Amino acid sequence: MDYLLHLLVYFNIYVIVALSLNLIVGYGGMLTLAHAGYYAIGGYAYALLALNLGWGFIPAVALAMLICAVLSLAVSLPSWRLRGDFFVLATLAVQALIFSGIYNWSSPDAPLGSWSNLTNGPFGITGIPRPSIFGWVPTTPLSFTLFATAVAALCAFVLWRLQHSPWGRLLMTIRDDELAARGLGKNTRLVKLQAVAIASAFVAVAGALYASHVRYLDPSSAALDESILMLSMVIVGGLGNFKGPVIGALTLIALPEILRFLHLPDAQAANLRLLIYGLLLVLMMHLRPNGLAGSYRVQ
Amino acid sequence: MQILINGIISGSAIALLAVAFQAVYLPTRVFFIGLAGIYAITPFIAYAGRVYGWPWPLAIAAAVFVAIGLSLLFEWANHARLARRNAGEGVHLISSLGLYIVTVQFVAMVWGNDPKTLRIGLDSVSRFQGVIVTGAQWITLAAALLLLGGFALFLRRSTLGLRLRAMADNPVQFALFGYNVNSHRYLAFALAGFFAAAASLATSYDTGFDPHMGLHAVLLAIVAVIIGGQGSFLGPILGGLLLGILRAQVVWHFSARWQEAATFLLLALFLLLRPQGILGRQTRLEAQ
Repeated sequence: MDYLLHLLVYFNIYVIVALSLNLIVGYGGMLTLAHAGYYAIGGYAYALLALNLGWGFIPAVALAMLICAVLSLAVSLPSWRLRGDFFVLATLAVQALIFSGIYNWSSPDAPLGSWSNLTNGPFGITGIPRPSIFGWVPTTPLSFTLFATAVAALCAFVLWRLQHSPWGRLLMTIRDDELAARGLGKNTRLVKLQAVAIASAFVAVAGALYASHVRYLDPSSAALDESILMLSMVIVGGLGNFKGPVIGALTLIALPEILRFLHLPDAQAANLRLLIYGLLLVLMMHLRPNGLAGSYRVQ
Repeated sequence: MQILINGIISGSAIALLAVAFQAVYLPTRVFFIGLAGIYAITPFIAYAGRVYGWPWPLAIAAAVFVAIGLSLLFEWANHARLARRNAGEGVHLISSLGLYIVTVQFVAMVWGNDPKTLRIGLDSVSRFQGVIVTGAQWITLAAALLLLGGFALFLRRSTLGLRLRAMADNPVQFALFGYNVNSHRYLAFALAGFFAAAASLATSYDTGFDPHMGLHAVLLAIVAVIIGGQGSFLGPILGGLLLGILRAQVVWHFSARWQEAATFLLLALFLLLRPQGILGRQTRLEAQ
């Protein structure tokens, strides 16, 4: 039972990730590989605020969202001038810089969380406190699952409303024809900037949820593999609508769990899982460029 | 001086891989991340050959053969089919990323995730006026000079090289003149496989190898392409050398752990301030 609850928490986390990534890739038409970086920044911001300053979940996550929204300028500013492969490359550079920053911002002498040892480098942060919401702390697996589901539902609702608002339609217009949108007098740069900032803020929530669930965080959550996993989710599930990313998150969470019952050796199972993700990416591009349930295909 | 020499030698390995990437990117506009998979599998083939007791030339030949074959397979099974359907560059990129993941995980499942070496024991060392150069570095330098020089000659002197440049310039017109675009695409992919194998073998002989080193090496090569100039076949050589020197200097003056940050900062600066690279010319946005 606890195993299923654990899976449900993971599903909740990745629903937020996939829906927010969909805002950039599916609605904005900007293929980004930097999303895991913001996910990790959100997690680290929450972990440090909660661990060192004793902040509650809501203020810590609010600040984490703000930090990610500001740092998302690193992705949105290149999107003004670059497109296609070179934009992807710029986001890859952002991802590498974030990873390198988290990995290296440490010194063995200083205490964790001080300015010279902010992230504890490759050793990561242990003992991250459980979330505290106005004094209520979900300690049992069931209560944490309920809490995570509530957070995910709230995020999904906000993103759903955004995608169906005039603002969401404008974002899709920019994706399909930026010149036309500009011709109609829309500020396309501002909308792109807003979309990336909102998506990065929401993925910070997912990162904080992950940090408070696993209660340990290391730089691998900012790694390129994590970004690729996130991108596989939205591509396999489908881009440009609400149900696609949700189905993608469900598929890619469920897949490794099915493999678990095949009783492969541990080392082989991890490789096989990634191999299947890679194969899925290739097959999707050939057989179903829209993904399982998407309404937009990568250009 | 030692730092400079080290930088030039590691830069020439980057330049080899950058040329491999550019050999595909310019004529076909495929962002060939699958190259990282080829880069990763090559030393394992040579390693397996050595384990079976093959002599060096045979093991290397087998590795190069597999690299070229795999590159052609990627084109045949994936990129050629997508290109026929006029797929966008994002589709090529994602499927290529998928091919890379499949190859690397396959290698890791067959040979394991741990690092291996091609060379046993210490390397021979030669000294000139206080500069130390190891045997492996000599091999890297010689291979890079020979292959890059050969490639430059091939592009300038041979008809095939001229056709490759024509295709890079304007593939539609190239096809209109009656040349077979598909067979020249295969040529581009074969060249890429060959250069990637050379870069991979030289680097692996020097520092060892593991299944996951490919993507990082290819990213460095792409950074070299952007610095050197994305519109030229030979600009990446300049970019690779510069990048190698910069990375060696960062290690000397700061620390090895800031190498990546410096590399990608340089990439970000170039993308924002001079996206056409050092040797590139400013083109109209529509022509890109």
